[in-house]
Amino acid sequence: MKTRTTLIILLALLTAISPVFAGGSKEAKADDGLTHIEMWYNATQTEVGPLPNDWVGYDILRDMGIELDASSLPSSTTDQDMKVQAAAAANELPDFFVANREVWVRLANNGMLADVTDLYELMPERTAIMFDQDAINFTTIDGRSYGFATPSIITMNEGLVIRKDWLDNLGLEVPTTLDELFDVMYAFTYNDPDGNGRNDTWGYGAFIEETIYESYPGRRFEPLMGAFGVDGTWDMSKDSFGLQIHKPEFYDYMVFMKKIIDAGVIDPNWMAYKKDDFRAAWKQGKFGIMREQNAALHAQNNYAPFDANFPEGEWIVIEPPYGPTGLRSVGPAVRGLRIWCISADAADAGKAEKICELFEWMAHDEGYFLCGWGQEGINYVLDENGIPVSTEGDIGFEGPIGQTYIQLRSMAFNYTSETELLSRYPVYTCENSGKEMSALWTLRDMQSKTWTPANGMDSMPIPGNDLKTYYQQGLAEFFTGARELTPENWQAFIDQLDKLGATAWEQEGYDYAVANSYLV
Amino acid sequence: MDGKNLRDKNYWGKLKKDVARQKWIYMLIVLPLVYYFIFKYIPLWNAQIAFRNFKSVRYGITTSPWVGMENFYEFVTSHYFWSLIRNTLMYSVGKIIVSLPLSIILAIAIYECRHGALRKVVQTLAYLPHFLSWVIMYGILLSLFAPGDGIINDLIKFFGGQPIDFLTNAKAFPWLVIFSDAWKEMGWSAIIFIAALMGIDVSLFEAAMVEGANSWQRVKYITFPAIKPVIVTVLLLKIGTIFEAGFNQIFMLYSPAVYSVGDIIDTWVYRQGLLEGQFGLATAAGLFKGLIGMLLLFLSNYLSKKYTESSLF
Amino acid sequence: MKKKNKQITSVAVKPTAADRGFNIFVDIFMVFILIVIVLPLWSTLTLSFRPDTFIGTYTEGMFLPPWEWSFAAYESLLGNDGFLIAFWNSIKILVEGVVCALILTIPLAYGLSVRNLRGKKFITIFVLVPYIFNVGIIPVYLLIAKLGLTNHLESVFLPVAISTYNCIIMRSFFEGIPNELRESASIDGCNELQILIRIILPLSKAIIMTIGLYYGVAFWNDYFRPMLYLTRDYLRPLPILLRNILLAAGMNEFVEARAFGNAPVEAIKAASVFLSAIPMVIAYPFIQKYFTKGTLLGSVKG
Repeated sequence: MKTRTTLIILLALLTAISPVFAGGSKEAKADDGLTHIEMWYNATQTEVGPLPNDWVGYDILRDMGIELDASSLPSSTTDQDMKVQAAAAANELPDFFVANREVWVRLANNGMLADVTDLYELMPERTAIMFDQDAINFTTIDGRSYGFATPSIITMNEGLVIRKDWLDNLGLEVPTTLDELFDVMYAFTYNDPDGNGRNDTWGYGAFIEETIYESYPGRRFEPLMGAFGVDGTWDMSKDSFGLQIHKPEFYDYMVFMKKIIDAGVIDPNWMAYKKDDFRAAWKQGKFGIMREQNAALHAQNNYAPFDANFPEGEWIVIEPPYGPTGLRSVGPAVRGLRIWCISADAADAGKAEKICELFEWMAHDEGYFLCGWGQEGINYVLDENGIPVSTEGDIGFEGPIGQTYIQLRSMAFNYTSETELLSRYPVYTCENSGKEMSALWTLRDMQSKTWTPANGMDSMPIPGNDLKTYYQQGLAEFFTGARELTPENWQAFIDQLDKLGATAWEQEGYDYAVANSYLV
Repeated sequence: MDGKNLRDKNYWGKLKKDVARQKWIYMLIVLPLVYYFIFKYIPLWNAQIAFRNFKSVRYGITTSPWVGMENFYEFVTSHYFWSLIRNTLMYSVGKIIVSLPLSIILAIAIYECRHGALRKVVQTLAYLPHFLSWVIMYGILLSLFAPGDGIINDLIKFFGGQPIDFLTNAKAFPWLVIFSDAWKEMGWSAIIFIAALMGIDVSLFEAAMVEGANSWQRVKYITFPAIKPVIVTVLLLKIGTIFEAGFNQIFMLYSPAVYSVGDIIDTWVYRQGLLEGQFGLATAAGLFKGLIGMLLLFLSNYLSKKYTESSLF
Repeated sequence: MKKKNKQITSVAVKPTAADRGFNIFVDIFMVFILIVIVLPLWSTLTLSFRPDTFIGTYTEGMFLPPWEWSFAAYESLLGNDGFLIAFWNSIKILVEGVVCALILTIPLAYGLSVRNLRGKKFITIFVLVPYIFNVGIIPVYLLIAKLGLTNHLESVFLPVAISTYNCIIMRSFFEGIPNELRESASIDGCNELQILIRIILPLSKAIIMTIGLYYGVAFWNDYFRPMLYLTRDYLRPLPILLRNILLAAGMNEFVEARAFGNAPVEAIKAASVFLSAIPMVIAYPFIQKYFTKGTLLGSVKG
């Protein structure tokens, strides 16, 4: 009895730790003559489910001698950065993966990435479409390239938009200058533009959305900064290069910001909103002027709730307002490149050529359509103009199952071809208002507005953490009123910023921009 | 010489006897201790990257160049160092002061409540907010406190006041953090005290009643002392990790407007160390936190032993 | 047994004014807590039922009549392959993890609760040091990679299979068990292992269940470890998917695509939170069954 209990306990203990030993049996890599490529990619829709095991692409690739093992990265960019860098630290990087430029810089400098300078010629088709000199510069350190810079967004796909129906209700014209814009904001806030008898609307709507090249308070305010010529983090022109925050006009912009905040004509939640809250807010008709992305605004799924709430509502894209010196801009226009990297380990294992073969396959005909839209006749059909259209039902590439088959879309797309654009943004009829719409029209409209050319601004050096924190915190405190906005306080803020390294950062940026001939 | 040998002999003899007597206990704990060695002490050994210019295992841990205290230096000389320490302590101490008593009171209230239905409902629901992640909680807080259309601000405006930007106001933000944490975690932390209350010998209550003690006195002299050891244990464990102020919560709630009161060590380390791939720096900050935590733990353990007679070791 | 206890506490002596005040205080506190807790739960629940066509504020949404509720969010989540795969992975981590954690934690907690154990102080400090020195995720990752545990579900719970916090709490419960019980068993010829199994464990159901719940929930909600250690899509547990749903909506370049049918984004978020909490919500009442007053008393007398 005694010994039996003991035995049972010991057995239980053993089973408890057995996973540790079972863990050692990493999937046996059969010697099948195929090149195994582990790949981390950016999924089209992370939450919809993984690329199914029965994806026909796997078989086609096997015939090419490639066993692809694809895993999607987490969908928030900070999580991606964290995962890739942690994997690099543990030497667990996959063979082929996508990274942001900041992460790429560190990995390349740490010797984790393969030199791909001589591999471009293995991909003639893709190189012709995507890899121009700018794209190659983007991934070049000391004359050698350490990754493939591919487009990840449609450029200039955002715009300053305004509620046309509100303007009409109040008998106002489209504002063209900053002063007129302020007057419209004021009227939108206090003159009940939706006529519901309640004081529940605001002029401008925004939230904090920063990027390397759009410093705090970020993208949604660029059209206002543009009026003062201080849009984007950097001024990239030859004769006045520098950080925008160092320019005297930046103070004028701050004064204007303070004016709209104090007048209460900006949705006061702007500092607290996250992206989803912001997008829910304009669908509820809370404000009438904003900077928004074309598809988030006018793609069928996204516009439908607004259309249901406001059948008479209408957003139109306008030119950004002129500032006091006659400048205007929606914001800096960058290429929006992401970098596909081959790990040094993969190159050492002789996988680089096969990886290029895979990448090239995705850039044209068979692979391109398979990754972008799935199988013809199953996930899509071609219309009379040769544009892929989703088939009906769940299996169509727009349906919940079909979407899983196009998870690799971002590897194939070049984001500018007519086929892609027409397929992504078809013309549709609104359910409630019966209007005909297309996000593509909106895109064309947005691209025709005034932008600041900003080639290379998204690869400029980034500030140290304390400097960045001070930058953001200082501006935020001027906005909330925790610091009073006076020329003296502003100067004190700038002085402290320089003390924390802003001057050095500026110099670093200058050297980099000159070295890569980004100055215009 | 001889005397020492004799003492040694006695000592070893006694040790042998003790160990032989308790051999089953050692056999029971040997596996967990091996576990500790592998999964807790090897990472602690790996933490030497705090003193090295570590890039990747590809180039080795022990072969990466020695940089001494450079990572610690970078952390300690940060422009924000003191403000990080102050904020971190403000939140962890604030949470201990607010959440811990609240969860103890809740546990006792659940134990003492005479309305069976009310007790059951509260006991079953109280822990559920723990499952609402901070992303969801942020949505709820926004609906309550948003300056534009939050419920609280609607009320303030209704009574003719000026709306308050709770989420971006440096004065209001700390309160928001501490009380939203109590709100979410109170029921969850109460579970452990409820479990402790279940062990109370109910015949004590009987005796107390015979002696004419009222309910307040019962709580004071029986209920509370019965769970005191658990409270002390929890408190001591929390003091040891005084620099953990709730990363997930603050990371979700804070923004540049409240950096001055919202940025804590962990959020700073996340931005500076983890996102920027400076893992040596992140580890150094962890060791720094641990060192001070250790000192505080030894101190409070000593005090606790002296005044409450319960201690961790 | 239980009934008798109730009698003792409620009827035996006539309540005084102080007692009544106490009861009123307890009732008011409980009702207050109930309101404070139900409010966020209710608002999230109604949010998950919100139909696509809803117009109005957050507050108005809380009072939407049930016949206007929409179950679209739940339907599209439950019909989603990604969700089901993730749910199943989470269940595997939960069951395996809790069993493993309890089998490792209980003996250690018991060992540390034994009086006069040689080297007890040393072992306690040995156990506490790594708890205090939280060296962060990377040193652990280096170990996990070295052991070849990446892309194994075990990597999610093994690094935290003993939580020192839980272990020390459990120890302090074991210490609360009267020493006479151990001594008398020892005189009866039981060894320490038998004492643990025959005497300590039956008396400690409440705390074992509680610690099991603590472990279970920690494993169930863990996000960072799976995010770093599990790469394959088919191994993703629920928190990863949940985070993708909660944070990513709109982070995509492909904002025109919608993963989840007709339900509004906010409803999907709220519904995913409720669906993911279900196993824990089911488990808790079972655990509560072991929460009976005066567990010790019965054992001493019996």
